[in-house]
Amino acid sequence: MNNGSVISLEHVTRSFGDRLILKSVSLNVNKGEIFGLLGPSGAGKTTIINILTGQLSCGGSAEIFGVSCGKIGGEVYRRTGAVLDNCGLYERLTCADNLRLYARIHGVAFSRIKEALALVGLDGCEGKKVKALSKGMKQRLALARAILHKPELLFLDEPTSGLDPATAAEIHSLMNDLRRDGTTVFLTTHNMDEAYRMCDRIALLSDGTIVECGEPGELCRRHCSTSELRIVAVDGEKLSIANTPENAEAVAGLIRGGRLQSIHSSEPDLGTVFLRLTGKELDK
Amino acid sequence: MKTFTAVFIKQVKDSLRNLPSLMVILIYPAVAWIMITAMGSQEDMSGFFVPVFAAMHCSFAPIMISSSILSEEKEKGTLRSLMMAGVSMVNYLISISVFVVLAAMLTGSLFLMMDHSTSSYAVTFTLAMLAGEVLSTLAGLCIGIYSKNVAAANGMAVPVGLVLALLPMLARFNDGIAKAAEYTYSGQISHLLEGGDVTAKAICVMAAYFAALWAVLIFLFKRSSME
Ligand SMILES: Nc1ncnc2c1ncn2[C@@H]1O[C@H](COP(=O)(O)OP(=O)(O)O)[C@@H](O)[C@H]1O
Ligand SMILES: [Mg+2]
Repeated sequence: MNNGSVISLEHVTRSFGDRLILKSVSLNVNKGEIFGLLGPSGAGKTTIINILTGQLSCGGSAEIFGVSCGKIGGEVYRRTGAVLDNCGLYERLTCADNLRLYARIHGVAFSRIKEALALVGLDGCEGKKVKALSKGMKQRLALARAILHKPELLFLDEPTSGLDPATAAEIHSLMNDLRRDGTTVFLTTHNMDEAYRMCDRIALLSDGTIVECGEPGELCRRHCSTSELRIVAVDGEKLSIANTPENAEAVAGLIRGGRLQSIHSSEPDLGTVFLRLTGKELDK
Repeated sequence: MKTFTAVFIKQVKDSLRNLPSLMVILIYPAVAWIMITAMGSQEDMSGFFVPVFAAMHCSFAPIMISSSILSEEKEKGTLRSLMMAGVSMVNYLISISVFVVLAAMLTGSLFLMMDHSTSSYAVTFTLAMLAGEVLSTLAGLCIGIYSKNVAAANGMAVPVGLVLALLPMLARFNDGIAKAAEYTYSGQISHLLEGGDVTAKAICVMAAYFAALWAVLIFLFKRSSME
């Protein structure tokens, strides 16, 4: 393991029953970066977070802060925070009571609660019951709870999925603040725009393995030197043609023959990269 | 200790805001009090009602409450959040059990105030109630660990709790049931709550349940943490 690595997975495997979900996952997350794990839902992103936080056993080697994930103790937990796919908040308790629980667990002063709520834009919500909050507010409260003890490493499991764009943008800006303070962020998402804009590096997870890993811009350049034309014919047939001069006649032929229903040029984005590498759509 | 206090305080606050669980823990003392008050002018019936309802209280309430706390935390994902903050399952279970037993003892102590005839054996009465609550809490934790959600936990806790709670009372009317009730811990505890002697049989039955429930709990716990 090199020195900068906060997370290191080598040939990690995991199955549920006889279904092999992770076939061989290897990746490294460096200190201070926002690392994105991108994959369609059901790919095993949450499973990887569960393994990293010591909630699930696995084959291969998984380490966080140089400690094997099967042997994580209080020391490592104090250095990590997590926002899970389901917020895990006590609905009957107030925002402040939810945070007080975690302040006590981590040994953090209660004065930090107000601070954390302000950071996520929930000023003045101390006395509000969680069940009275909107989905976006709950997600922000979960985030406040995760950063209460100023962790060095933050796990965010699809933190913006199902949120309105304004709340998503707020969460993104908070992630940028955290990166500025040197926090390492491990983000999972199936939203390629989010991964592209937020992450220093991303890994594409498909079929239980990491099919590609690197800087988002780099990946797009590497795999999308030419853009594609996606065409739907009148009879419903779907075609994917490279956007190059030699294909001009083929497209023109479709138009002349009156067979063209719709035509789109696919931008060189992560979705296209994913499609090229795996033959699958990301956002489905 | 830090996590013990944190989870315990969380549980106190949460249970105070949880109407169904408040009702479960107060229903038997409340009903006993109403019965005694209603019969007030006639001969003193408290000597009959108090042991009957105290036995129901200490077998039913802890099973319901501990199983629903645990299964709700699983269903809502709050337990997973706690684990990811470094709270160990053992620590968590200890906090919850201490809370449930204390809460049941606190409300159970109301029985002692209702009936003066129990004062002659108040120590046995209290200890019997404590034993019943500890055993029922263990049973509730087993159900909670085994169940994936609240509905499944209630589906199991209600019948188990009812059988344990009602068997000793029904035993008064039917010899067959009385024989069976002797082999349940609630049957033995009910006997002690009525002021019966502490027999070797009572100790054996309770110890057997204690050992069996621990074994089941450890088995289910190991199974759930093997994932
Ligand atoms: N505890 C479990 N038992 C059985 N199957 C599971 C369990 N957890 C996850 N899975 C399966 O593993 C696959 C990956 O799940 P998950 O990691 O949640 O995907 P993602 O987070 O990428 O959407 C899914 O097909 C899911 O059904
Ligand atoms: Mg997921």
